[in-house]
Parts: sequence; C-alpha cells; structure tokens
Amino acid sequence: MSQINIKKGHDIQIAGVPKKELEIPERTQTVAIHPTEFRYVKPKLLVKEGDNVKIGTPLFFDKHHPDIKWGSPGGGKVTTIHYGPRRVIEKIIIEIDKNEETIQLPVLEITQILESSKEKITEQILNAGLWPMIRQRPFNKIADPAAKPSAVFVSCYNSAPLTVDLDVALDNKRSAFNAGIAVLSRLTNGDVHVGVSEQSISDTFMDIPHAKIHSISGPHPAGNVGIQIHHIDPLKPGKIIWTVEAQHVVTLGRLFLEGVFDPSIVMTIGGPAVNKPTHLKTRIGTAIQPLISDKLNNVPNRIISGDVLTGKTNDKDGHVYFYHSSISVLPESDKREFLSMLKLGSGKSRYSLTNAFSSFRRSLFPFNTNKNGEERAMVPLNSWENVLPMDIFPNPLFRAILANDIEEMEQLGLLECDEEDFALCSFADASKIDVGAVIRQGLDVLEAEG
Amino acid sequence: MKFIRTILDKVEPIFDKGGFLEKFHPVYDATDSILYSTNEKTESGPHIRDSIDNKRVMILVVIALIPLYIFGAINIGYQAARVSGIERAVLENFWVGMGSIFPILITAFFAGGFWEVLFAVVRKHPINEGFLVTWALIPLIMPPTIPLWQVAVATSFGVVIGKEIFGGVGMNIFNPALVTRAFIFFAYPGQISGEKVWVNIDGISGATALSVPAAVEHGNAVELLSNITQFDYSWSNMFWGYIPGSIGETNKFLIILGALFLIYTGIVNWRVIVGALTGLIATAMLTNFMASYSSNTMLTLPAHYHLVMGGFLFGIAFMATEPVTGTHTDKGRWIYGFMIGLMTVIIRSINPAYPEGTMLAILLMNAFAPLIDYYVVQGNIKRRLKRYATE
Repeated sequence: MSQINIKKGHDIQIAGVPKKELEIPERTQTVAIHPTEFRYVKPKLLVKEGDNVKIGTPLFFDKHHPDIKWGSPGGGKVTTIHYGPRRVIEKIIIEIDKNEETIQLPVLEITQILESSKEKITEQILNAGLWPMIRQRPFNKIADPAAKPSAVFVSCYNSAPLTVDLDVALDNKRSAFNAGIAVLSRLTNGDVHVGVSEQSISDTFMDIPHAKIHSISGPHPAGNVGIQIHHIDPLKPGKIIWTVEAQHVVTLGRLFLEGVFDPSIVMTIGGPAVNKPTHLKTRIGTAIQPLISDKLNNVPNRIISGDVLTGKTNDKDGHVYFYHSSISVLPESDKREFLSMLKLGSGKSRYSLTNAFSSFRRSLFPFNTNKNGEERAMVPLNSWENVLPMDIFPNPLFRAILANDIEEMEQLGLLECDEEDFALCSFADASKIDVGAVIRQGLDVLEAEG
Repeated sequence: MKFIRTILDKVEPIFDKGGFLEKFHPVYDATDSILYSTNEKTESGPHIRDSIDNKRVMILVVIALIPLYIFGAINIGYQAARVSGIERAVLENFWVGMGSIFPILITAFFAGGFWEVLFAVVRKHPINEGFLVTWALIPLIMPPTIPLWQVAVATSFGVVIGKEIFGGVGMNIFNPALVTRAFIFFAYPGQISGEKVWVNIDGISGATALSVPAAVEHGNAVELLSNITQFDYSWSNMFWGYIPGSIGETNKFLIILGALFLIYTGIVNWRVIVGALTGLIATAMLTNFMASYSSNTMLTLPAHYHLVMGGFLFGIAFMATEPVTGTHTDKGRWIYGFMIGLMTVIIRSINPAYPEGTMLAILLMNAFAPLIDYYVVQGNIKRRLKRYATE
C-alpha cells in the first residue's frame, strides 16, 4: 500500500451534509437514461415507445461502436422518449412493473473470472449493456473495448462536497467488490489501482486481492480519479487508462457472480435546502421526485443531479444521470445587497478561500446559486494554482486553449486533465471564469484531432 | 437604503436597449453594481462560487491605501508648517494637506474616468473596477505641488496607453498608475524626476534624500545625509515618513502595514515582495563592497537606507505586486521580484541620470514578466516531455 498526500485543494464547508445512515425509500416508479450525457456517442435507438423491456434489455447503441449498448436500469414499459432540437435523443423513460424481469447471463465464480480471457470478460459486460461504466482517460469518455489500457483506476474516495461516503455505500459488499476488481484485472495487462481515503474504516478496502491499494489523504480534489492517476501513474500521449466508479465495480462484480445487472446504487441527497440530508438506497437513473418529496425546505430551489461542483441542473420531475450518485439541492438566490463590496462579511454571510472577508469558516455555510460577482478578464491571483494539486500550469494552459494552440495544449499537459479537476478553480476564481468549461473545450479539440 | 434601489430601478430603462441613454449603459451598470451586489446566478459547472470577486479585490487594495492618504495629508501640512516655522495641530496639518491632495484626486478621477467611460461606451464592455485602484494610486505617487493639468494629461496617457489600448484590466502589460508617473517623469522632468522635492509653499525646494549622495564624489552616503539641515534625513525619520516627497510614499511603516494586510487577505503575492527585498539587500551589499574601488558615493549607501529612501517600499508593495502586469507563476514571481530589487539599486547607484530607480525597475520588469513566465513554463514542458520519453 502506498501513501499519497495531497496538499493543495479545498474542502468546501457546505451545509446539508448527508447523514452516514442508509435510508430505504419507497421504490421509484420510473427510471430514465439520458443518451446526451455520454460524450462523443451517437445514439441509435433499439426500442420504441410502448415496448416492454427487462432489466438489462439494450435501449440504444452507439453508431460509432455498435457493440456498445446501454442496458435498461429498470424492467417495465418504455413510456416516453424525449427528443431535443434536431431530433437529438435526450431521455428515455421506463415505467417500472411490479414484477420486474431481468435478463440472465452466465454466472462465473471468482476463480473462473480470473481464468477468463479479456475477450470473454469484455463480451459479458457488453452483452449486459454495462460497458458505459468503463471510461477512459484521456478525454473521460466511454472506453473502446478493443483498446489496451495500461492500467485501471478506481477511486474509492469521494472528496467532492455532499457525495456518497463509500464506507456507507460499500458496507457488506466486499465479495461483489472484490469480484468486480477481479473482472477489471482481466481487462488490463497492467495493474488495477484503488485509491482509498486515509480515513476510511471499511473492511471492504482493508485488503483487495488483485489490486494495488493507495491510501489518499488531502482535501478535494484528492478523491478525483484524474488527480490520483496524475500522482500514481501519469498519462502521456498514446497511453490509455480506464476508470470505473467504485459503486459500479460492485455492479460489475454482481454481473459475474450472479449473472444479472443489479441496478441498485447508494445515493446521497444533500445541500443547504435539504432538511434531512442522508444516504439512500435506490437505483441508477432513479426519478428524483420520490426521494426529495419530504426533504426540501423552502422554494425556489435548484435541484442538481451530481455534486454541487460538477453536477447538472435538473428539476424535481427529472431523473438522476447515469454516472451520478448524488442529488444536491441549493436555494436559488437573486438578492442584491447594498454596498456589499465594503462589508466585512461574517462566516454566516460570506465564504471565501481567501481572507478577504472577516469569516473564519468555523461552521458549515449555506451556499446558494448566486455567482457573487460578474465575469471579468482573468486576474491571476494564484487562486487556480492553490486548489489544483497537479504539476500543471492552469493559467498558460487556459490561454493555450483559448488561442486554439493544439501543440501547446498537449505540451502543457491537457491530456492529463479533466474538467472535474478544475471545478474548484472556477469556484475560487475572483473573475468568475468557468475554467472547467474551457478545459473541456480544449479536450474536445484534441479529441477531434485524434 | 431602499430609495436608492428604487431610483436605480426607475432610471434603468433610460439606459437599457432602446432607451434615451442606451450608449451610456456601462455608466449605469458601474453605478448599479458598485452600490449593489450582483444577482447573477451560476448557470452550470460549479453551482456555488466563492464570495470573492474582482470588486472586493480592488476595494481591499484601496482600503490598504487609505492610511497613506491620511498620513500623506498630515505630512504635507507638517512640511509646509516646518518650512514656514510655525506650529500646527495634526488636524490642521491634515486639512492643509487635503487642500493639496483633493484637487489632484478629483482631477485624476475625471481625467481617467472620462477615458474609462469613453472606451466602455465605444467598445461596449463594462467599466472595470480596476480603475478604482489606478485612481487611488495616482495621487499617492505625485508630488503635492504637481500642476493639475499635468495630472490630467498624464492620467489620460496612463489609462489609455497603459491599459485601454490593450483591452482593459487583465490585458495590460504595464501598470497604468506607473505609466502615468513615467509620463510626467519623462515629459516634465522639472516636476518629478526625483532630484528635487517640493513643499507646497511657493519657491521652496530641496534635494531629495536619494540625490544627496548622488551629487557628491568620494563621500560617505550616511554621513552626507546626516549633514543635511534643510530636512531631517535620519533613518528613523525617513522610516516614519516626516520627509517631503510624493504624497503616499513617505511613511514606510504604513506601507508595511498595508502590504501585510494585502498579503493576509490573499490579494498580494508575498513572493514578489520577498524577492524584491532580497534583490535590493543583496545588490546593495554588493555595491557597498565595491564602494572602496569607486568614487561613486551612492555605492556606499547601506541596504537599510536603500529600503527607506525613495519609493521602493511603496513600489514593491502596491505596484510590483499588481497581479496582471507581473509574472503569473510562483517561480517567476521570485525572479521578477528579485530583479526589481536589483535593478532599483543599479539605477539608483550606477545610473548618473536618475537618482530614483524603483519606477523604472518595475516598468522594465513588467516588460520582461512574460519572458520570465515563458521560461518557467518551458521548464514545466521540458520536464513533461522528458517523462513522456522515458517509461
């Protein structure tokens, strides 16, 4: 086990931290999948409105990679397919039957998994429609099944605010988790690296066969898999690393141990507008409404699928996105304060990484959606550098992307970056620049270049 | 304060699209957003944001400068009283001094504000709060006797050439306040070149502390300074600022307080300041060592005298640390700061033309800042390419 200490970064002290208990809400009526969520994918439908599906029935596939399909996270009837502008498939909604059926696939014991070839393992995951759980770096997109990754990374440390505590989520799932790791170890000739929080006390992570464990300490974004890759086995041109969410490892493990797609997942609901923030046992792509109905404080609120730094705005009738395992709710705010730029600002009214206000951040802070300023030209106050624990100069990189200088972007290490690692830079920036969006813009340019 | 909001809301349509004063929307926007915090919401990405914004950053710099204004006013009054041989209360001195400062402040505001508004209207961008800092800095680096028309001309030059032609705050390569001063320095050297100081009574002037040793050969700088009777150029008096000079640069104690405040609040990068102090002390020690081989008296000036003389501390605390025109990397900041200290001593001691060198050193390093950053960033790129090649 290696120890990795990350110094730079910041744990945002936001109110509404989920309790470390697992609540079981009533079963969701509908689940949904959003094809637009998957980058660089051209979806082609395999079902139409009114079709009956089982759990695991392929709903659509990617035209660029026809073998990559998306299994339904629920059994029942496809009720609605939402189209956006230019007939983009935005959302497929499935109404769940009382008696759900599941597609049954071959069962493999852990010893059989370890003896299987990469092709056999790949085939089973593709057939189950779970391949999208495996993503690749660079670009943070769905992995190409034919590629040869030099390592697989799993981060078992969620450091982003209000996200799932994996000690809670993976409690009593040791065998399935270890089976999932065994599955991943068959997909690469290199190592499977698991990053675990130093503070974790779960026995799931005590000893993981077939993986290298790294104990990670430090503030957010230390838990981001991109940061862990950067410190353990950094990317370089031509090198491909695959990543899987910790809870999805359990799903993959069950796929082999039980031969079925078990869509259950632990989510959090948290944020300053939530009065009973907690962990919930629910399923991938769940409807948001039944989870939040009795938990929200005042209106108007913003409901976010994912965490407050990288999540997507959703609404109460919406569904959680595929890769997300948290629902965050923030009060919307459009209050205008008189002469606020001169006010001292207490810990209750101002929250800042700098000492520009007389706030000492002792307690949790009720953030809202106010931008707290207008967008301005970049003033390099080192705020980006202070929260980015990577050997990368964010400022020149940002400029290179704006200048569309492809060679310089690569030289400055853009391939090692993902927008989620830069979310804190946007949070901390006094000029209110969305750094992550620009990083993604650069990655899109590099991806298109090939 | 509800009525202000009501008035603002009432006049807004006039400045909105299609309104009578549509073109002057930036003026409304600036007034509105200075008085009231924004109600803009995050759209995506991070849904929450830190409370700091550029307005807060700029206003904190202005707050750090306020003590210098107060002391500057008192000192102007004090110097005038001293020369005339009268005793005055501190408050009286303050009001006398304000009589000199206020017109300069107003002139700089209108001269600079005019160009700010003009560029904002023509180029359709909001008026940037960075002007607050430029405006607050300009009077502090002027002698109290500066003719107002020179302030107006120089401020115009500083705002337009120093900032606006590059696209405004965030894109300028030279510090606009320093460009303003440099303009007067070269265009009207009689008023500001650093050789003579003025007290705001007609016809009274004397040598600045820095020009005392510069004028004599084969001397000892400290001895020469202590021989001056017109002003008290002892070390402690220069530190506490009771000497004639530019309005804001004399009291070194308040400058240090202001710098510490800005470092604490996270607005100023301490590396530049520490780098500059190191550069100045190291170079001064070197010139002291060389002094016995030369007839140049300035070489004998010890480092601690260099620190309290001229505008060095003011320059490195409030000018060199300006984040946009300085270097943008931490390593670069050390080099940039060190070079400012080094160049200051070189210009002061070895250059025969100008007794003071801080302003020129900072402007010179402003010009070199992108080059320094370039090498620091290239270092990072080389390290990365090396790693790519191995493994």
